[in-house]
Amino acid sequence: MRLQLLCLLTAAALVPMIGSGAPAKASASGVKRTADGHPDLSGVWQFAIDLPPGALKRESNGSVSFKSFDPSARRPAPAPVPGALPFTAAPSYKPEFQAKVKELEAHENKTDEVFYCGKPGVPRIGSPRKIVQLPNEIIFFYEDISGDPYRIIPTDGRPHRAGANPTYYGDSVGHWEGDTLVVDVTNFVDSSWFGEDGYFHSDAMHVIERLWRNGENLAYQVTVEDPKVLTAPWTEAPRVIKPSNDPLEESPKCVETDGNKLTNNDHHVQR
Amino acid sequence: MRYKVYGVRIAFLGLFAAAMWAHHSPSAEFDMSKKITLTGTLTKVDWINPHIKVSMDVKGEGGKVENWGLESNPPAWFRRVGVSRNDLAKAIGQTVKVEGVRSKDGSFYGYLQKIILPDGTSLELVSPNAAQEYGK
Repeated sequence: MRLQLLCLLTAAALVPMIGSGAPAKASASGVKRTADGHPDLSGVWQFAIDLPPGALKRESNGSVSFKSFDPSARRPAPAPVPGALPFTAAPSYKPEFQAKVKELEAHENKTDEVFYCGKPGVPRIGSPRKIVQLPNEIIFFYEDISGDPYRIIPTDGRPHRAGANPTYYGDSVGHWEGDTLVVDVTNFVDSSWFGEDGYFHSDAMHVIERLWRNGENLAYQVTVEDPKVLTAPWTEAPRVIKPSNDPLEESPKCVETDGNKLTNNDHHVQR
Repeated sequence: MRYKVYGVRIAFLGLFAAAMWAHHSPSAEFDMSKKITLTGTLTKVDWINPHIKVSMDVKGEGGKVENWGLESNPPAWFRRVGVSRNDLAKAIGQTVKVEGVRSKDGSFYGYLQKIILPDGTSLELVSPNAAQEYGK
């Protein structure tokens, strides 16, 4: 009995360490903290929406200049990220849904709401552009082609809302596991995709976002669970988001007019 | 996955593909072989998602005015390479020259790759590595 109790206590002590995401030394790494002792994730971060690659060449008065931008916040981190969970490149769909995923992907420019200015939802929208961290709630702000959503995430221990309508960004509650903010998101509409390439989901989708400090940067990693269509939870590659001095700006309205001009199913890859 | 696809497009379609974004594949709407160069009066600049759009009146054969529309990269892209709506809109009513590719449906519509403004300033969408290539 005493041994069982010891095992239980040991396991209980390890769970936060395993799930914390951030390495133990992060606590003493000089990370800026809020008054309640949690790492301060607040600030403006690099944009994480997908944009075309490329640069602008400007020629004026005989001089030539080039300007490009850093798209890294949208990409998997190029190097291992301390505290990240193991991940795989793609979700594993149940055999009976694999053909549907391929079909959706093949006709993406017809089947994807995002192509027609639809909301990407969580987690497809990526990491937030701005975080406001308060003692009992954290607010995520975004810039997106479909609009500029926000999410108010309680961190005071309350449960998910009961009876709320399903939405693209779901119902979020947050808590801290060590130095990692864990955001638990449920209650999604079932028409969004959790990733391009036809990654559809059911009304049972459950998303877990993890955010922690990686030096001066923000680390972001997502796990998607959907027992109705996936064989196992899918954890995506972590992303590292740099701080930004680029203030948020209202996104122009979205008016998609290309759909009726497309002559084939060549798929787009928006986000 | 997204970037692997980009890589393929860049490799097979050349520099312009890099500027086409993946909102839709260029081959789905534009004929990459139909390069267009237009000179005319800039009439409108729509700073909208998912593509900005410029309108211009171009004198066609016989002097008939053709109302052209050209879309380009999204506003957020232009913002991050330092181009605002006003950089283009200040030329409304004046003569500009644009280069791009034409819509497959043969309408007066295209994808803008380069614009030369009345003061001679040119803005051109180029590959991510263009600066390094230029320096070689």
